[in-house]
Amino acid sequence: MEIRIRGVTKRYYSEGKTIHALDNVDLTIPANQIFTLLGPSGCGKTTLLRCIVGLEAPEAGEISIGGEVVWSKARNISIPPEKRGLGMVFQTYAIWPHMNVFDNVAYPLQVRNVDRNAIRERVRKTLQFVRLEGFENRPATKLSGGQQQRVALARALVAEPKVILFDEPLSNLDAKLREETRKELKAFLGKLKITAVYVTHDRVEALALSDTIAIMRAGRIVEVGTPQKIYFDADHQFVADFIGRANLVKARVRAQEKDRTLVDCGLGVIACQRRDFPVAADVTLCIRPEFIHVARGEGSGENVVNGRVDSQVFVGEAYESEIRIGAELLLARIDPDANLKVGDPVTFRLDAAHCLLVSI
Amino acid sequence: MDPARARLTYALVAIVGFLTVSPVVMLALGSFSEGLTAFGEFTLDKYIAAYTDRALLDVLVNTAIFVLGSSVLATVLALFLAYLNTRTDIPFKFLFRILSIIPMMIPHLLFSVSWALLLNPSNGMMNAVLRSVFSLERAPFNIYSLEGMILVEALLDLPIAYLIIAPAMASFDVALEESSRVFGAGSWRTLIRVTLPVLRPAILAAFVLGVVRSLASFAVPSVLGMPGRVNVLATHLYEMIALGFATDYGKAAAVGMSVLATSVTLIYVYRALTAESERYVTISGRGYRPTVIELGRARIPLFTVVALLSFVMVVLPVAVLLYTSFVPYTMVPSARAFSLMSLKHWTEVLQDPLSLLSLKNSLFLALAGATLGTVLSVFVGYAVVKVKTRASGILESLSFLSFSFPGIVIGIGFMWFFVQTPLYATIWALLVGYIATYLPYGVRPMASAFVQVHAHLEESSLVCGASPMTTMRRIIVPLLVPGIVSAWILMAAMFIRELTLSVVLSRPGTEVLAVQILRFADDGLWGKLSALGIIMIAISTALVILATLVGARFRAVEPA
Repeated sequence: MEIRIRGVTKRYYSEGKTIHALDNVDLTIPANQIFTLLGPSGCGKTTLLRCIVGLEAPEAGEISIGGEVVWSKARNISIPPEKRGLGMVFQTYAIWPHMNVFDNVAYPLQVRNVDRNAIRERVRKTLQFVRLEGFENRPATKLSGGQQQRVALARALVAEPKVILFDEPLSNLDAKLREETRKELKAFLGKLKITAVYVTHDRVEALALSDTIAIMRAGRIVEVGTPQKIYFDADHQFVADFIGRANLVKARVRAQEKDRTLVDCGLGVIACQRRDFPVAADVTLCIRPEFIHVARGEGSGENVVNGRVDSQVFVGEAYESEIRIGAELLLARIDPDANLKVGDPVTFRLDAAHCLLVSI
Repeated sequence: MDPARARLTYALVAIVGFLTVSPVVMLALGSFSEGLTAFGEFTLDKYIAAYTDRALLDVLVNTAIFVLGSSVLATVLALFLAYLNTRTDIPFKFLFRILSIIPMMIPHLLFSVSWALLLNPSNGMMNAVLRSVFSLERAPFNIYSLEGMILVEALLDLPIAYLIIAPAMASFDVALEESSRVFGAGSWRTLIRVTLPVLRPAILAAFVLGVVRSLASFAVPSVLGMPGRVNVLATHLYEMIALGFATDYGKAAAVGMSVLATSVTLIYVYRALTAESERYVTISGRGYRPTVIELGRARIPLFTVVALLSFVMVVLPVAVLLYTSFVPYTMVPSARAFSLMSLKHWTEVLQDPLSLLSLKNSLFLALAGATLGTVLSVFVGYAVVKVKTRASGILESLSFLSFSFPGIVIGIGFMWFFVQTPLYATIWALLVGYIATYLPYGVRPMASAFVQVHAHLEESSLVCGASPMTTMRRIIVPLLVPGIVSAWILMAAMFIRELTLSVVLSRPGTEVLAVQILRFADDGLWGKLSALGIIMIAISTALVILATLVGARFRAVEPA
């Protein structure tokens, strides 16, 4: 089901200050996709999720789920969360400690007065789906973090909602388990025809899971797009910087060519992926460290940059090095085999496709 | 483990074990022995006499109604207040702090007396007012009844129940309720199926503690029950040992054994429940701000209820006593009453040698007893928290045991014990009895203070180059001071008002304040009683303020 959010605004007042948790947000979440709200903490992503699910009431705007208006200030519509028929996985999982696994998962069906035998069957199937068959009678609090997470997922899925919401569901797991669970979650959701709205501040999680990502900042949606678009072709410096490690270099547009934009910057004249900026506009050149492939020595030619190794940090699979080019310092990853030392001259050629221009 | 610590632990097990176990042993021996001492011939006569007593059945029924009624009422009220405070937008939330702390400074005996002054059927002030306003023939309320006792006992147990339930409710992860809403349950169903069950251990713990306290309660049954001939176990025991011509300690001990066994069992149930309650605590590290329920139109009526409760529990008892201490005899406040006010009762009390003696004794017991008790608590707290051995585990159970002691019952055990020593009928007997019975009040704050002093804090000070003495002075003591202060306050406040143990142990010459007040109540000398009672409240309030000031000087940083 499609979720349409129009003009939703929500403010908090704390210690005399007004905080715009949501500032006139317009967003359409397409049906049957994994849609991620990504942003730094305090950007309003969780508030937006809670407005969709009905745990929080916005001050203005309208929210509709699958064509049905669930909240509208103007039309005075406010459907309580229990009538919206959604599924949700909470950050803390919110597994009820006084119930066993079966009762936790069966709860959404029990409150809908589903027939007992049907409940047993559907709980069994759902637990099987999340690979927890046979755990029915376990006390829910005795499970591991990953298992609790799957109980929470089963509970969210058991009533077959058309929309499921995730509020940072992996943030309480340790790094290794988080990666496994993320893969599982993607596999689970891929098998279902369901609209999933996923809130996270972890960019890797967002990139790996999502069909579409919306980046939020200070209560506003900054940019919406596929993970590839967001990572490689971001329109805003904030997005480019937030979604991955990036070298941001001040630049000025020199000329526009057919499929390239030339800029002047501290690295010299660089040909970049074409963007429609006027000539002489101040922009930011964004180069991701993984696209800087350095070699020892000096070189020449278009987009070739020469510099010196300024510092090196060994991080296991590579050296993270800073390359000094005049006043600029670029972060690059260097193969451990390269055998470079601090002070060595290095050279690299930038591919125009990986030189991204974003507005300041 | 180093041998010094082991020796300390064993020494403490011996001391605490002696203090808590010997009265129980004496009680058991006495209940089986012929004659007046605890070392007579073996006999079952006392049990047969005690349990075939015709009055016992009535007493048991009364006790059951009183104990269960007051515990249920206290728990329900506490739940209601805790919910309002933690989950709604009710105004003036500071009232809840007052409600949970101030009543502890008002001794149960005086609280009961103030209700008797208000609602007794013959000349209770509130009754008199109602009678004249509605021109009734009879007093509308009779506080000398089971209902009256239940009401007053429930109000007395309410702060403790609140202090158990409110933190559980505050640490409750609101997502548990929110998820229930999202999955289709309305607010009512969420309350029944999620909120209350998750809080169940805390609710049960509050209830069980209420049962233990009301079972041991002597103030309410003696002041409100005995005039109306409503006897419960505590007063039944008191009648056997203190009233009538043939006092029979053995028979009382035989009944007391069952009361003690019930109490001890319940207190271990209570411990298991609080342990479970902590397991249920589900709050997340960075929890979302809980959505506060907007009360809307119910806001003002609900606030009125809370304000009324605060008035009834804090202002009214003190006001009634203060008023009664100035008027010549019980009368409804009026212009005439105010014109008749005088300091007569005050001067009489301050010239009464017995009242002055009891004042002196109580002050001594509070200051010396709390100090000695705190010193013992510091060591016990240290051994329980920092020394993890079987012996320290035993020590913990032992130091908790006396929490369940009903004063009247354990007093009989102590009496038999002290008869064997030169301490009998001296103030030292009371001192030892007090410390033994109220040890948990000192150990608990000390134990939590020691938990805060993590070994790393000590070690990092040493690594920074501070000597062990400096570490002690700069790190450990400042961290312990809040615990020491609250242990001392709690014990001193308990000792200044102690009644139940004292009515058994105090002898001519060792009267204490509460016993003297009870004597005034028996004689109907309400004016003198009120004057002495106000002095008692003033002393315990002064102790609390003093100790807080002393503690604040030592405390380096204010706790968040």
